[in-house]
Amino acid sequence: MKWAAWLVAMILGGLLAWTSWGLFPRPALPPWQEATAYWGARNAVAAIVLGARLYDTLFEVLVFAMAMVGVRLALRPLPKRRARPPVIESPLLERAADVLVPAIGVFGVYLAASGHLAPGGGFPAGAIVGTGLLLVALARGIRALAQEFPQPILSQLEYGSLAALLILGGGSLALGWRGGWLLTLANMLILIKVSTGAWTVLEHFAAHRGEV
Amino acid sequence: MEGQVALLLAVSLLVLGLGTLLSRRNVIWKLLGLNVASGGAALFLVAVGHRPQAVPPILGWGPGPAADPLPQALILTAIVIHFATLALSLVYVIFLTEHLHTQDVPKLERGEDE
Amino acid sequence: MTAALAGVLGYFLAGTLELLRTKTGPCWGLVAWAGGLISLALWAPGFPESKLGGPLWGISLVGDPIALAFWCFIPLVHAAVGWHERRRPATFHGLVTLLVGTCLATVLSRDLFNLFVCLELNSLLSFLLIGFDARSRAVWASLQYLILTTVGMILYLVGLGLVYGELGTLSLAQISTLAVDFSTPSLAVGAGLLVAGAAVKAGVFLLGLWLPLAYREAPTGVSTLLAGLVGKMGIVTLARLAQALPVGPLVVSLGVVTGFGGLIYALWERDLKVFLAYQVMSQVGYMLIGFGLGGPAFFGALLYTVACCLYKGLLFQAAGQAVEAVGKRDIPSLAGRLPGPAAIGLAVGTAAIVGLPPLAGFVGKELLGVMVPPAFSWTLTILTLGTAASFSKLLPLFRMGPAAGERGAVTLLTAGVLGFSSWGLLSLPSLWAPSLWLRALAAVAVGFGLHLVIHRLDIRLPKIGLDRAALVSLVGSVGLALATVLWL
Repeated sequence: MKWAAWLVAMILGGLLAWTSWGLFPRPALPPWQEATAYWGARNAVAAIVLGARLYDTLFEVLVFAMAMVGVRLALRPLPKRRARPPVIESPLLERAADVLVPAIGVFGVYLAASGHLAPGGGFPAGAIVGTGLLLVALARGIRALAQEFPQPILSQLEYGSLAALLILGGGSLALGWRGGWLLTLANMLILIKVSTGAWTVLEHFAAHRGEV
Repeated sequence: MEGQVALLLAVSLLVLGLGTLLSRRNVIWKLLGLNVASGGAALFLVAVGHRPQAVPPILGWGPGPAADPLPQALILTAIVIHFATLALSLVYVIFLTEHLHTQDVPKLERGEDE
Repeated sequence: MTAALAGVLGYFLAGTLELLRTKTGPCWGLVAWAGGLISLALWAPGFPESKLGGPLWGISLVGDPIALAFWCFIPLVHAAVGWHERRRPATFHGLVTLLVGTCLATVLSRDLFNLFVCLELNSLLSFLLIGFDARSRAVWASLQYLILTTVGMILYLVGLGLVYGELGTLSLAQISTLAVDFSTPSLAVGAGLLVAGAAVKAGVFLLGLWLPLAYREAPTGVSTLLAGLVGKMGIVTLARLAQALPVGPLVVSLGVVTGFGGLIYALWERDLKVFLAYQVMSQVGYMLIGFGLGGPAFFGALLYTVACCLYKGLLFQAAGQAVEAVGKRDIPSLAGRLPGPAAIGLAVGTAAIVGLPPLAGFVGKELLGVMVPPAFSWTLTILTLGTAASFSKLLPLFRMGPAAGERGAVTLLTAGVLGFSSWGLLSLPSLWAPSLWLRALAAVAVGFGLHLVIHRLDIRLPKIGLDRAALVSLVGSVGLALATVLWL
C-alpha cells in the first residue's frame, strides 16, 4: 500500500515537472496598468481581488464564513472543559502584550486601509489582528478576553460585515460601482470578517480542548 | 531559472503532501499532508506567474516587467479556502476524537455511535 | 445577465440573514426562492456569454441551455427539501439556501477559477449539512468526503495553473478557440488534471468513492439535495470542460467506467441508501457519455441530467423517509413496512429510473439513445438492462406498511417527475413510436429476468475505505493525465 502511494505521487510529480518545464520562457504580460487604474487601485492584485474578480472573492468570503459556522456547529454539542486555565504567568509576556497589541492593531488597520495602493489587503490584515488577539489570550487568559467580546455581538458583527460585503459586491457587479473608496471599504469589511472569524476559531478551540 | 526552481519546489511539496496523505493512517497526519499539498498547488500557481527580473505588479514600483498578478490573486482566494477547509476538518477531528477516542483511520471507519 | 446575478446574490444575502435568525423553519429562504423564480423569469430565454469585470481579468458568465435547464428545476428541489425539513433550526435553512444559491451560480459560470470557487463552496456547505446532526458516523462521512474532494480540488488547481500558463486565459470560451488540439504536453496534462479534479467532485466511480458513505449518512433532506442537485455540479463542470477542451474521449471513457462500476456495486448492495448511491454513480455514466460525445448527444445528456436529478431526488427522499420511519436500512428487512408516501415515491422513482414509458427515465434514455452513435447506444442498452435488474430487488418495498408518513416533499418531487415526462412527450412527438415503447418494456422485462439469476449469486466485492478510495482516486487522476498526454 505504502509503496504504491509514494509511487503514484512520484509519477504525478515527475509528470508535472516534465510538463511544466515547457512553460518557460513565459510570454509577456498583457497591458495590466490601465486595468489596474480603472478599478481605482495601484496594486494590481487588489484590483483583481476586489475589482475584476470580486465575484470570486464573495464566494471566498462565504467559504470562510461557512467554515466558522461549521466550527460552531460541530463543537457546540461537546462538553466545555472546566479545568483551570493554565495561563502562562509571565510578566514579560504581559508587558509585551501591552506594548505590542496596540501596534499590531494599528498595523492591521493600516494594511487593510492601504491594501489597494501597496502590498496588503483585508485578508492578511485580518490574520494579523487575529494573531494579536492570540497574544492577548496567551497573556491574560482566554476567558478574560471572551468576556470582552460576548458571542452575540461577535456573530452580529461577523454576519453584518458579510451581508454588507454582499451588498457592496452586488453594487459593484450589477451597478458598476468602483473606485478607491470601494476597495478600502471592502478591505475593511474583510478585516472585520476575518478577525472575528479567527477569534471564533480561537475561542472555540480553546474552550473545548483546554486553554491556550 | 528561478521560475523553474520554484516550480520544482512546488511539485516536490505536492508529492510530499499527497504521499503523506496516502501512506499515513492517522487523520491528523493526513490533514497535514493535505495542507502541504495545497501549499504546493498554490506555489505552483505563483510560479506560473513568474517573469525574469520582474517587479511586483504595483503601479509606480519600477519600470521593468511585472509579475503576472492574476495567479497571485487566484492563490489569495485559494489559500483562504484551504485555510477554511483545514479549520473545519480539524474541528471534525476534535469531534471524532471526543466521541470515538481514536484518530486512526481504520478504527474511525469501524466506529459506532456511542 | 444582471437578473441572473441578482438572483444568485439574493440567494447568498438571504442565506446569510437566515443564519442570523434563531428560530426554526425557513423565512428568508422563502424570499430567496421567490427572488430566484423572478430572476429566472427575467433572463429566461438565456443571455449570451458576457464578461463580468472587464475584458482582461473578468469572469465569463453565460445563460445557455445548461444554466436554463438547471434553473428551471432547482426551485422545485429547494421547495421539497425546505418543506420536508421545515422543523429544523434556521441555521439549517440558511445553509440550504446558500447551497442552492451556489448551485445556481455554478451552472452560470464559464470561468475555470470561478468553477473552482463554486465547487469549493458547494463542497464546504455539503460537509456542514451532512454532519449537521452531529452523529459521529455522519461526521466521519463528511470528513472523508472533505479529504477526498480536497485532493480532487488540489489537482484541479494544478491543472488550472498549467492551462493558464499555456493559454494565458481562464475563460472557457477563449480556451475553446485557443485549444483545438493538444499541441503541448503541459496543456494535455493540465486538461487531464482538470477533468480528474472535476470527476472526483462529481463522484465518478474509482475517482469519487466518497459518494456512497456521504449519501448514506446524510439526513433525509440533505441526501435529496445531494442526489437531486449538488452531486450534479461536478458533472456540469465536466460538461463545461468537454465543451471547451478536446477531452471528449476522456469524458466518454470515464462515463463507461462509472456506468458499469457503479452498476456492479449496486447489483449486490443490500443497504437501501448505499444501493441508491451506487445507482447515482451508474447513472452519471449516461450523462458523461453524452456530454463527452458532444453534438446532439450533448443536448440529450442535458435532458437526461435533469430527469435524473428529479427522480434521484425523489428516490432519496422516499428512501430517507422509509429508513427514518422503520429504523432499518437493509432492503429485505424494510419490505412491507414502509409508510405510504415513501412506498409510492420509491415505486414512481423506480418506474422512472428503469425507463418504464411514459415516465421521465424513458424520455431521457430514449432521447439520449437516438442521439448517440450505434456503438454507444449498445452500451447504454446494457446499462439500462443492468439498472432494471438491480432495481428489481426493490419490488417487495412497494407494499405499504401501516405507518403514516410525510407527504409533501414526495408529492412535490413526483409532480416534478411527471411534469418532465409530460413535457418531454408533448414536445417530442418522436417518442410516441410504439417500437420505442415496446423496446423499453422489453428491457425492463429482461432486466427482471436477469435479476432472478443474479440475486442467487453470492458475490462479495472489495470494501472501500478512505485509504483505498484516496489511492484509487489519485491513481485514476494520474492515469487520466497520462492518457491525455499519450493518446490525445
